[in-house]
Amino acid sequence: MNCSEAEARLNEFVDRELSEAEVIEVQHHLDSCPPCLRRYRFESHLRRVVRLACSEMAPDSLRARILDERLHI
Amino acid sequence: MPETGPPAGAETGFTDEEALEHIDALYRTALRLTRNPADAEDLVQETYLRAFRFRDRFLAGSNLRAWLFKILSNAAISRFRHLSHETGDRSLDEMGEFDLHAHSVDGGGALRESAEEEALSQILDVDVRRALEELPEQFRLALLLSDVEGFSYKEIADVLDVPLGTVMSRLFRGRRMLRAKLEEYARPAARRGEGSNQ
Repeated sequence: MNCSEAEARLNEFVDRELSEAEVIEVQHHLDSCPPCLRRYRFESHLRRVVRLACSEMAPDSLRARILDERLHI
Repeated sequence: MPETGPPAGAETGFTDEEALEHIDALYRTALRLTRNPADAEDLVQETYLRAFRFRDRFLAGSNLRAWLFKILSNAAISRFRHLSHETGDRSLDEMGEFDLHAHSVDGGGALRESAEEEALSQILDVDVRRALEELPEQFRLALLLSDVEGFSYKEIADVLDVPLGTVMSRLFRGRRMLRAKLEEYARPAARRGEGSNQ
């Protein structure tokens, strides 16, 4: 697998959407290619940053209001 | 709302508690979609009311989280349509879909990655949320479902009722847009970092 083939599969690799055989191929390429490995780390980091930024909890008042409305259905 | 229900005789429904387990996930998604807490609460409330009303269309034991997100997405999309009609905002209409395989892979970006990653770690959560909220709705929703909620591409395709290729295309384009916006925000953040270094 060369860099452009690895790059084409990178999103699916990070999102765990590849088959086991494809994962091994991409992993093998990343192990031997520092620039692609950096790109992989960046993509993973980006997803983590997004996930951490969106961690709000619903207010208790909303939960209570929904349960209250539920009684009227 | 899913158009077709489960087959006749199949066990349907869920308990209130099972449905409410997903309220935080629905709320944080609604918050990014509506951009404000009051509208987000309304959207989540509407989602639950629809879910309770159509409880018998849910096949017991199937994916309740995905089902609730499907209701939320449909409710959100009809709100956007309504809003864009009112304000003349054409962002929904202008978003053409295109085949993922038509993408050319942009090579040569790898050298920038470590610098970008460093810049990314300087970015504040509030900037990440702002960048997400500036993405067109369809791209934003796909990204939230994937990156924040951890849905698989197949689940996202079911939630949004679009082909798998469209999901991949939206994620690809959405991430590219997000990255460009974060780069914009990272520059002033890096400058602030230098300024405070005294």
